Amino acid sequence: MSLPPDERPPGRILDARLHLLDRQVLDVDGVPTCTVDDLEIHGLDGSDRPDGTQTAVVTSLLSGAVLATRVLGGRPPASRWHRIRWTHVTDVGTTVRLGVHGDALDVTWTERWVRDHVIGRLPGGRHDPG
Amino acid sequence: MILGDLLDARVTDADGRGLGFVVDARFALDGPIDGLLAAPRLHGLLVSPRTATSFLGYERNGVRAPALLARWFRWRHRGTFLVHWSDVRWVADGTVVLRAGYERYSPGLTGTAPQQG
Repeated sequence: MSLPPDERPPGRILDARLHLLDRQVLDVDGVPTCTVDDLEIHGLDGSDRPDGTQTAVVTSLLSGAVLATRVLGGRPPASRWHRIRWTHVTDVGTTVRLGVHGDALDVTWTERWVRDHVIGRLPGGRHDPG
Repeated sequence: MILGDLLDARVTDADGRGLGFVVDARFALDGPIDGLLAAPRLHGLLVSPRTATSFLGYERNGVRAPALLARWFRWRHRGTFLVHWSDVRWVADGTVVLRAGYERYSPGLTGTAPQQG
């Protein structure tokens, strides 16, 4: 049985699993920042659990420690997600491009901590090796 | 709500009959302008009657190669349909309930119905 084609919306179409999830996120300098592990969706009226009566939009990309939950099941608690506001997204293609520096995002705090507290304390760890 | 609440969720009609599982969510970049891009508006859910997984979207595009794989995935996802978000009555506890009289649309990304395997 053939189904009627959907009336195509005016904007670009993105299927979450095909075009967004697991895509690498690059900051404004092209530096890899994280991957898109999930998406946060809100109703336009601010509802955090919209249903079909409300227009729902993506408000943030979510990234976090999902390896264990992907293997064992479940999902990280909401407090463990790092959020990147959709406002910062400038392009969606093979990668997701941001208009901000990765250092300004919470999602890179572990890298900054290791840089400052571990790498920076090694001899030669505070200058460009080049 | 997190998208993970929707993906893989069981889908039922208004009478509680199982229709399948959410294999993907379709967004349209036509929401309110939020930064440089429009916010992705949740346009609909892709529902497969047999499986909660989808492989590379074979059932949604015109990919025909490798022929054996394409045929296998189209067959496995036969009956997959798109339902508009406005036809979703509520979402709770891993279940998506559609309103009575919901409409099914082709899941194809190109706007044409995929061939059934």
